[in-house]
Amino acid sequence: MKMKKILALVMALTLSSVMVTGCGGDTDKDQSKGGNTTGGEKQTLKVAALESAYGADVWKEVVKAFEEEKGNVTVDLTIDKSLETVISAKMKAGEYPDFVHLATGRPDALTETLIKDNGLLAIDDVFDMTVPGESKTVSEKLIPGFRDSSIIKPYSDGKTYMAPMFYSPAGLFYNAGLLKEKGWEVPTTWDQMWELGDKAKAEGIALFTYPTSGYFDAFSWALLANIGGPDFLKKVTSYEEGIWDTAEGAKYLEIMGKLAEYTEKNTVANANNTNYLKNQQLILDNKAIFMPNGTWVIGEMEEAPKAEGFEWATASIPRVNESDEQYITTFFEQCWIPAASENQDLAKEFMAFMYSDKAAQIFANYGAVQPIQGASAMIPDSRGEKSLYAIYDTPVNAITDGGFATTDAVEGVSIADSWFSAYDSVVSGSKTVEEWKAGIVEASDKLRPALK
Amino acid sequence: MEKQKGRGRFIFFCVAPATILFLIFMVIPTINIFRMSFYKWGGYSPNKEFVGFNNFVTLFQDTKFLQSFQNTVLLIVIVTIVTFGLALIFAALLTRAKVKGTNFFRTIFYIPNILSMVVIAAIFSAIYDPDRGLLNGILGIFRGDAQAIAWLGDQKIVIYSIAGTLIWQAIGYYMVMYMASMASIPESLYESANLEGVSAVKQFFTITIPLIWTNIRTTLTFFIISSINLSFLLVTTMTDGKPDGATEVFLSYMYKQAYGNSSYGYGMAIGVIVFLFSFLLSAVVNAVTKREPIEF
Repeated sequence: MKMKKILALVMALTLSSVMVTGCGGDTDKDQSKGGNTTGGEKQTLKVAALESAYGADVWKEVVKAFEEEKGNVTVDLTIDKSLETVISAKMKAGEYPDFVHLATGRPDALTETLIKDNGLLAIDDVFDMTVPGESKTVSEKLIPGFRDSSIIKPYSDGKTYMAPMFYSPAGLFYNAGLLKEKGWEVPTTWDQMWELGDKAKAEGIALFTYPTSGYFDAFSWALLANIGGPDFLKKVTSYEEGIWDTAEGAKYLEIMGKLAEYTEKNTVANANNTNYLKNQQLILDNKAIFMPNGTWVIGEMEEAPKAEGFEWATASIPRVNESDEQYITTFFEQCWIPAASENQDLAKEFMAFMYSDKAAQIFANYGAVQPIQGASAMIPDSRGEKSLYAIYDTPVNAITDGGFATTDAVEGVSIADSWFSAYDSVVSGSKTVEEWKAGIVEASDKLRPALK
Repeated sequence: MEKQKGRGRFIFFCVAPATILFLIFMVIPTINIFRMSFYKWGGYSPNKEFVGFNNFVTLFQDTKFLQSFQNTVLLIVIVTIVTFGLALIFAALLTRAKVKGTNFFRTIFYIPNILSMVVIAAIFSAIYDPDRGLLNGILGIFRGDAQAIAWLGDQKIVIYSIAGTLIWQAIGYYMVMYMASMASIPESLYESANLEGVSAVKQFFTITIPLIWTNIRTTLTFFIISSINLSFLLVTTMTDGKPDGATEVFLSYMYKQAYGNSSYGYGMAIGVIVFLFSFLLSAVVNAVTKREPIEF
């Protein structure tokens, strides 16, 4: 009996001690890390990067190049496909990375949350820094247009809080082989687009499909700019009152309404996380002609079976009239430094290093193109992405500041849901264009007073 | 007296670890959720703004939330009724009717339960595929060349497609639970019923059901909790609330608001409603189904 009691007591004590040591373990580790960063001689930089379609190796190589460049720096690298879940838990506990590569527009919206909470460090001085190992400053190397993008300047204070990374044209992707085979021209106006749609329909091919409704953001920025110019786009994305009642607003809705009729019939059923590849496959199988997408689609569909003579190509979003200016959304990712980072100076140096030829070449080897001059020429010829950047050689105006104006969080209101997700309902026929418009206007009305 | 004291201390030390763990990982987080639901907070910054019941007021005017509420309730009702009925029938058939290969069927029925939700989502995405899916393939025999049904694309159908998947996933689990308690009913009861010429159906309703009633009551609570939890997993992996919120459920909406919309406090307010709703519903179901336990 006594033996049993002692045994139970020992077990209970073991459990408690496991619990206590379990809680204590992390703090020990933190202290040793903290000692490293403040040690002076050898510095440690905590870098967190999203593992996207370009893979994880690209970051390992870039980090190695930075360590070689600096000599006395060790980079503690975190790479993950769902980076938010890994770093946000640590951030809640007060342990912040020094440099983060994580773009806006992700479902978990960690970057947006930090923007709304003023959690990012202003980094204007990075653009005046000389790129490590080179003689030019970051600003001198950047392609014009990126420096003034409102995406990296989210508030009205004029300061820069994020740095642009990996840019790509976000246009309509199609199979050039199919159009060549049929003798069809790439439409430049919407009238030509509908004409092509009718011709294709007669052959059992749909004009349009989309992976998920989320892809309509970049598509819409270019379309809105084509219709009413960049000023009109700016007014729409900053929720100007009555903007949807203007002739330009009505034109956008009219085009989108008609496009819904030309959309492949099973698109909505597959426009979700599990099945969006089936929609992309429609292009590869010559069952649909165009889809909005980004250059990453080439890597994403690399292994998928393709129709004979398949060849990736991009086209700009059509214009209303032939004489209108042509715009194309330039999609780019962002990196930033948390305001709570302990090693801000080194993080800024690392950020500047992102724009060095050395780093840009490593990124280009994996198909990621840095927004510095001449970077698209660095892509190896063997990669399919190279031809897609040719779109910038045509007379187009690149839009680098698409994206909604920053607001304080408004509970229960999401413009992306009311605008893009709701478009699924227009395509499936359960909402009219008028009802869709009402939803967008309602969300805009609620967000306008919260503008930052 | 001394012995009594020692005994008390002994019990205290034995119970303490579990109690402390329970407090840290269950009670304190729950209290925290209630507390945070009164704040406007993005989740990361130190500045939280106390807004009282504001989050709850907004919540009940939020049509997206009401839609997710409606979807969840619909799923709880459909999944519970259909799974409950089918699981009971299958359990009765496998225990009472002398079917060959009872164990084989029991295993087959149980397999969906050990599959991960991601796998189930992939399987059903293939089944529901409008063009090459199993379901439209079979229906095509009867419907001819009619327009394919978009199981995951038609707003009127899609929530039932989710329900179908959840039912398929849950039947085996509940069937095994019912079979276990049915097996403990003494055979003699059925024998005497047979001698008196009672039909198998009547035996099911007058002997089987009353004698496994306690078990049924427990499973009803399980149904509520698992419908809320599993629908979140399935929706997140399969449709992510698409198309246009038609498959949004409680928890997926809570997640989107808390993280995607930077409204952590609002998300917690949804959490509070889910907590209260599931608690209340379970209590009501428990009260309604209360019977004097019949023993054998």
